[in-house]
Amino acid sequence: MSTETRTEDRERRTLVAAREQRARDRRLATRDLVLAIATPILLLVLWELCARVEIIDPRFFPPPTRILGAGWEMLLSGELWQHTAPTLMRLAVGGGLGALCGIFVGLLMGASRALNAALGPLFSALYPLPKIAIFPILLMIFGPTELPKIIAVFITTFFILQINTVSGVWAIDRKLLEAGSAYGATGLARFRFVVLPGAMPFVFSGLKTATGTAVVVVTAVEFTGATTTGLGYLIWNSWQLFIPEKLYVGLVVIGLIGALVTTILSRSEKLLLPWRRER
Amino acid sequence: MHTTSPAPGAVVAEDVSKVFFSGTDPVWALEDFSLTLEPGSFTCIVGPSGCGKSTFLRILGGLEERTVGEVSLPAGEHRIPAAFVFQEHGVFPWMTVRDNVAFGLRMTGTAAAERRRVAEDWLERVRLTDFADSYPHQLSGGMRQRVAIARAFATGSPVLLMDEPLGALDAQTRMLMQEELIALWEAERKTVLMVTHDIDEAIILSDRVIVMSGRPGTLREDITVPFDRPRSFEIERDPEYAALRARIWNLLREDARTAEETA
Repeated sequence: MSTETRTEDRERRTLVAAREQRARDRRLATRDLVLAIATPILLLVLWELCARVEIIDPRFFPPPTRILGAGWEMLLSGELWQHTAPTLMRLAVGGGLGALCGIFVGLLMGASRALNAALGPLFSALYPLPKIAIFPILLMIFGPTELPKIIAVFITTFFILQINTVSGVWAIDRKLLEAGSAYGATGLARFRFVVLPGAMPFVFSGLKTATGTAVVVVTAVEFTGATTTGLGYLIWNSWQLFIPEKLYVGLVVIGLIGALVTTILSRSEKLLLPWRRER
Repeated sequence: MHTTSPAPGAVVAEDVSKVFFSGTDPVWALEDFSLTLEPGSFTCIVGPSGCGKSTFLRILGGLEERTVGEVSLPAGEHRIPAAFVFQEHGVFPWMTVRDNVAFGLRMTGTAAAERRRVAEDWLERVRLTDFADSYPHQLSGGMRQRVAIARAFATGSPVLLMDEPLGALDAQTRMLMQEELIALWEAERKTVLMVTHDIDEAIILSDRVIVMSGRPGTLREDITVPFDRPRSFEIERDPEYAALRARIWNLLREDARTAEETA
């Protein structure tokens, strides 16, 4: 064999081995995906079977197909939307405004030493107060309207975003703030090009935390009997009337809302912070 | 020392002192430090660690306040009186390479088209045109420092202040960058003041080497580097180079040891 063909032969064998390695990596990735999807499906099937043969009490754990059927009926009758819409509205208006105000105040507090000295300790003291405990006060002030519910959600996301944004501003590398001033970034330009983008990773982690907490608070507020609409009310009322299927439908829809908002946030984070990718 | 009045456009620092407090004890970082930089000159400051050389540079750049003393940069000529290059992590991770290079121009209100033209020009000169839309975390350390250097030159500011700009790079990348920096500066002739702890770097790059004493930082010796420009690493073979290198090292040696032992 000539040297040339030997070299070619070796090259060919190395490439074959490399392809095999890549194929193995891909097989493992596919397996992980299959496992991630199959596990919950398997659990649902198990639940269905156990409920059908009454290993678990179907009155407390109705089989998933019955829950799905109930959900479908409620969707067709409009009952589901009648409860989903108010919850979504409270989350969007209260939670959204709270988040925006929290980011705004957080940026100001992160940038102004005086403002942080004035408000920092006060907000730290208010933050751990359970928002549900404030709800009766809100009811007393605003009466049984939409306002107290929206305010309860507002307060929840406001504090989380305010605290995260301040931390985000403080976590910006001092060198970058100095680079900003060395190159003439002052006032609004400093906010726009240095402080805000620098704090964004913390803002997004705050948004994700706030989503979870806001869903808890809106559900709890709707439990209190201060309303006859919302998914929280649907769950509570179904328990009192003992219609477990509807109770589970409410639970699933609330879970879906939380998951959906979190997914949207993760996607927007990837889109808005391209410099955080590939880390 | 320069006793004659400085040329127009010179950078002048007179009797600058910086004192800060460690507990109740005053610590002198700089004591009566004076320096005049001729327009279009390249000057390096070397000194033992903790001698206040970076502090002085930061005072000139307006990043730190002086306790007493006078500083004047060629005022009124440019909206960024001195462009700063940091050791590392000084480029904005959230901006593309192009936006980083154009940042100073954007802050001074330069029109978008002009900004883009200058940025493209500098990207080409530091060989980063292909990475214009990349983010800094996608680049190597040497490339990131080229972004930082291009950003400083692109401002058009007459004065560049560099705080160990090549200090975090590996030895080979560093030598390549020194060559690039010489070439860029020889084409532009800005007034440059650079802090370094590398004696060879100081000799190869500068017209003048300022040797500082240990804390409190004072001027120990002001050495003129005799080699002609354009320069290259060829000068390392010159016997005069070795003599100069030995002279600077002898000046630093005692203080470097003291600094090392008290650190």
